[in-house]
Amino acid sequence: MSENIDPVVSVVVIVYNDAERLPTAVQSVLDQTLHSVEVVIVDDHSPDRSFEVAQELAAAHPGRVRAYQLPENSGAGGEPRNLGITKCAGRYVMFLDSDDVLELNACRNMLEAAQRTGADMVSGLCVRTFLDSRNGKIDKWYEWLYRSTRVLDSVLELPDLFVFDTLSTNKCYRLEFLRENDLRFPKGLLYEDLLFAARAYLAAQRITLIPNEVYYWHVREKAKEKSVTNRRHELTNFTDRIEIHRRIDGLLRDGGHDELRLAKDIKFLKHDLVLHLRDLPFRDQGFRHQFAELARAYMSGMDDAAYDALLPIHRICAYLLMQEDWPNLITAVDTLINRSKVSSTLTERDGRVYWCAEHLDDPRAREILDVTELGYHAATVDAMVLRNALTAYDQDAKGIRLAGRIVNPLGVIPPDARLSAQLEFKARRKSLQQFSFPVDTLQHEGDFIGWSAQAELASKLRPLGFIDAVWDVRLVLSVNGKKTTTRLTVGDTSLEGRDRLRSRPRLTRLVSDTLEPEISAKGHLAFQLVAAGSMSRRSRKAIDQALQGAPGAVARAGLRKAKQVRKDLKSGVTKIRAYHEVFLKLPVRKGTVVFESHLGKQYSDSPRAIYEEMRRQGIKFTPIWSYAGKPDDFPKDAELVKRWSWQYLRALAQAEFWVDNQSYPIKLAKRPETTYIQTWHGSALKKMGFDSPEFRTKTKDQQASQQEILDRFDHFLVRTEHDVRTLVPAFRLPESKVVRTGYPRNDALVAAWKAETEGGSRVRGPLAEELGIPEDRKVLLYAPTFRSGPDGRVRRFEPPFDVEEFADRFGDRYVLLMRSHYLNNVVLPPSVRGRVIDVSRIHDVTPLYLMADALITDYSSVMFDYALLDRPILFFAYDLDEYVNSLRGTYFDLTKHAPGPVLQEKDELYAALDDLSGTDIAWADARKRFVAEYGEYDRGDAARQIVDQFFRRGSKK
Amino acid sequence: MNRDIFIVCNSVDELGGITTWSHQMAGLFAARGHRVHLVGITPSTVRHKLADDLPYDTTTLYDEHPPQAWSPRTFKDKANVKARRMQQKRRQGMQEQADKMSAMFRGAGQGAVVIVTQVWAMEWVNLSDTSGLKVIGMSHESFEACRQSSRFARVQRHYKDVDRLLPLTAEDADLWIRQGMNNVDFMPNPLPWVPERTSPRSEKVVTTVARLAQEKGIDMLLDAWAMVSPKHPGWTLRIYGAGEDEQLLKQQAHRLDIDGTVEWMGRTGDVPGALYGASVFAQPSRAEGFPLTLLEAMVTGLPCVAFDVAPGVREIIQDGEDGLLAQPGNIQAFARQLGVLMGDQQLRDTMGERAVVNIQRFSADTIVNRWEELFAFLEL
Repeated sequence: MSENIDPVVSVVVIVYNDAERLPTAVQSVLDQTLHSVEVVIVDDHSPDRSFEVAQELAAAHPGRVRAYQLPENSGAGGEPRNLGITKCAGRYVMFLDSDDVLELNACRNMLEAAQRTGADMVSGLCVRTFLDSRNGKIDKWYEWLYRSTRVLDSVLELPDLFVFDTLSTNKCYRLEFLRENDLRFPKGLLYEDLLFAARAYLAAQRITLIPNEVYYWHVREKAKEKSVTNRRHELTNFTDRIEIHRRIDGLLRDGGHDELRLAKDIKFLKHDLVLHLRDLPFRDQGFRHQFAELARAYMSGMDDAAYDALLPIHRICAYLLMQEDWPNLITAVDTLINRSKVSSTLTERDGRVYWCAEHLDDPRAREILDVTELGYHAATVDAMVLRNALTAYDQDAKGIRLAGRIVNPLGVIPPDARLSAQLEFKARRKSLQQFSFPVDTLQHEGDFIGWSAQAELASKLRPLGFIDAVWDVRLVLSVNGKKTTTRLTVGDTSLEGRDRLRSRPRLTRLVSDTLEPEISAKGHLAFQLVAAGSMSRRSRKAIDQALQGAPGAVARAGLRKAKQVRKDLKSGVTKIRAYHEVFLKLPVRKGTVVFESHLGKQYSDSPRAIYEEMRRQGIKFTPIWSYAGKPDDFPKDAELVKRWSWQYLRALAQAEFWVDNQSYPIKLAKRPETTYIQTWHGSALKKMGFDSPEFRTKTKDQQASQQEILDRFDHFLVRTEHDVRTLVPAFRLPESKVVRTGYPRNDALVAAWKAETEGGSRVRGPLAEELGIPEDRKVLLYAPTFRSGPDGRVRRFEPPFDVEEFADRFGDRYVLLMRSHYLNNVVLPPSVRGRVIDVSRIHDVTPLYLMADALITDYSSVMFDYALLDRPILFFAYDLDEYVNSLRGTYFDLTKHAPGPVLQEKDELYAALDDLSGTDIAWADARKRFVAEYGEYDRGDAARQIVDQFFRRGSKK
Repeated sequence: MNRDIFIVCNSVDELGGITTWSHQMAGLFAARGHRVHLVGITPSTVRHKLADDLPYDTTTLYDEHPPQAWSPRTFKDKANVKARRMQQKRRQGMQEQADKMSAMFRGAGQGAVVIVTQVWAMEWVNLSDTSGLKVIGMSHESFEACRQSSRFARVQRHYKDVDRLLPLTAEDADLWIRQGMNNVDFMPNPLPWVPERTSPRSEKVVTTVARLAQEKGIDMLLDAWAMVSPKHPGWTLRIYGAGEDEQLLKQQAHRLDIDGTVEWMGRTGDVPGALYGASVFAQPSRAEGFPLTLLEAMVTGLPCVAFDVAPGVREIIQDGEDGLLAQPGNIQAFARQLGVLMGDQQLRDTMGERAVVNIQRFSADTIVNRWEELFAFLEL
């Protein structure tokens, strides 16, 4: 049949030796929802039947499909596409490779965007589809560029597009645009897309991006062989890549596009280079040297600014490559691949932390190797992932012998530490089994911890059989009782063994009988269960076939179901149901009190003060403390339950009292027999609860369910009538629930103030000594409020002033305690050690208040509490307008009521600190007024009142 | 080219935004010479009398409302023979009604299109034979509003294979695309009417026209009014509309001590008149699609203040240019924006005049042209 169409879009399909898949690609064009499409097939002179198939397709779809062939093979995709462009009849052209397919609406969506916006080129989302993946793995190619429809009048508006999406295939070009600008693919070079896309981007007067999926790139992953080899072809690839980059650089230079050049250099260092660096540990010295030569010749032309924009590990790797410092580079590549790993010994010099001790005489190297901002120096050993390099491997039929060394960065493992370790083998797919082996030797060698171990895998490691085929190896090191888990990095250590390592799977030896060492994608030692004996090999084949058939599908479905059941059992939904249907039906346990502070993150605040007062008074009760994370700093004489554990749910369900300062899980109902004392955690400046924008926008139903959560409160503690005017209506609480005792946590503050006004001296307490604060320095506490990123996510707190500058200017007079909100964290350089101290991790803030001679804060409720001490408060509100006005709204005007100066500039803050006693005197009256207005119930006996009211025998509830 | 255009909606005779839209579009298409058929799936519970001289056909498929959809979930459900038989009957009934539509579609000429205004109606269109016709589905609400409703899954299922799915704005379209729908374009609503004269903005009146229901956010407007009105003596807030929250809202106004400056006007049949007598329009809704009241206020020459709750709102009001937006739920910001306009006659005039001009991009002519271009494009 002949279809006479006047094509609007032409799709050039190129093929080389791919006769089998070509019809699928072509069909994806013929099936387009846009009908006015033609297919131009160009065969790169394939030796197989590709061209015949193309001609057959043309014959089957006359008027819609045409077929062409190059006179001789060109070796790359460029020339066939160039020929295709000359044969197109449509107004727009797209490119498709014979092993990929177009999304069915691709042409319609591309054309619509092109016509609506008058674009020279339209680009859509390319989806990489991994055909060999069992669970349908896909990867959307630079999806973040395609989050919304965008129209660019020049690619300069979006340098990332130029830099990252260098494909030619997910795009639709106006044919006249290609012809006018003589846009063609380069001949005979790999990476031809890069140059073509670069030239097209630069020539286009209008580019439209659409979020639609347009192109499915079929990826077939082949297992990468990891052994030390000299791979010539990789060097050729790299040479081609660099050649293409040079030509693009030339284009950018001619056009004067310095900004694009910089963005492209950054991308080269971050991505292109990294692709090759990952494999360097497995290449021989000759390869490494040649690679470095090629890279150096190209990279030496780059601007320093490109390095400054990189993550530390990227710029470190690039620098070490330039220097051909192989030992440090190979180490750094480990961190490049495993981002959270600390792989180098690190070194501290002049108050900064550097990646390595070498090269530091060069000032530029210092900038590059400076890793202070990563905060390694502040981390404890159990919070670190340490590099563990395998130094020896041997195997025989019975088992393996291993040796290695674990890095000891900045001496985080002290020489006199108690050390122990064991090797663990765990199946990669979740399995119930884990096997451990002791280490034979373990010794501190300064920068490293050396170890050796043997594991009789043949007899001791008993896999089930084909479901747990891959086994990962870990070494768990314990330092003074703190554990850190390491993986074994193989590097260039040979994994050759003397004999086949036999294995006896529990289910059957018919399928597999041998363990073989292998290197994981992340460079770590693992073992694979394989069939080596002839018997096993035969049965394995039979079983593989069965697994792919119907019985296999049933078995796999069964396994999935079993896993799902296990997952469901542990899921929140199941727990919530059990809580309501089982635990709440159990009797109340008289005398049990479940305490929680800040969602279990701390042992602190008013719940702690009440708990301690009950202890002091010798009340008979059963205390239960909830903790999230680690129970380390919680009281040893109370029952500790992990938040969301079964024990926790049961304790809550049966408790006589709940005492909390924030919220128990919102899905858990409270039975009427349980009394909930909500201590709350601070008076409010910013709008809360139903007064906050996020509550006001909620629908009726949402507001009603929110109200149910708040209605669980039986008693609500306030410290001022300001709370009664703000928080109480914000939570829609009736007057009968209000308890005017003040905050138990503030009793200590009132006591300290009384002691001081009665002539006593200021007592800093034991914590000051622990923190090493000298007697002759005054203590400043900086406690800003919580800040989240523009997307609402928690981010690291960046101090709004240079802490090094601060330490240099005030270090001889003040020690600055830095307390970020418990959801944020902060990193301080070693140079300010002793002068600026991070106290964010100390649970209870009260001792910090008592120690501090002055407070710097902004909008945080700490102002209300600290004011009780009648010491100077400075408000460093550098983002006042943004925070107070545009976002949430406040209950009162801080600038009018603040009990201290509200400072918006750093210099103002410094000036106020220079004359701290002047500031103190000037604001004394304002502080008194502030306490009278915003803290009248904090009289120092809140905890006692609460205990009297609720926990004494015969007290009312 | 004159086409057969079928507009299929839930109901042709109910009082509601989408039915109003359907009749408006049917009239506009008919005026361009197209043959328009307006099809309702079921009769409305509260029937609205249609004019006798409509320039297009109207058909309602069912004589009475069909039984609710139901699907068995548990074993017990599966054993419920009575319910299953009802469902069987429902499905048969649906097919019968769909067949009626198939017959209508078969009679259509070259280039015919079916526009389905609601996803519920799409279930019948999917059962009918639409070969040779282009099918266009619509979602008359913001992506976010849809996502929070049961329609979200149904839109993705029933509109999967339509030629084009049209939400109201480009921003909503992008969100649908990212949700995995690759057949999406967008289409704004046209201006419902054009007044004979624009407001002189001479009265010190802020007005709003809305059903007195929680989603319309009048409670937030009252809170904002309590903040701003003491600073602007002489100004009145005039609230047109009635609804289930009327008593609650009046109590709130009393509590806020703003009874003296708030006038409760009740439901009005004369929206143009209500807008004409005001100088500023307030829209405090919690959720919106492509709010017609904003279009109406702007075409009357009123500068508007609205919470930025949907792409449709920021599409209509160009913030700072011909109206002012406030972050959703931020009462202080809403009050501040009202205050800005109440305190500045010149700004009110500038923005009001700009609103009249700018809103012409949604004029009936412009929107009908867009539709006709879309019909032609789908034939390529």
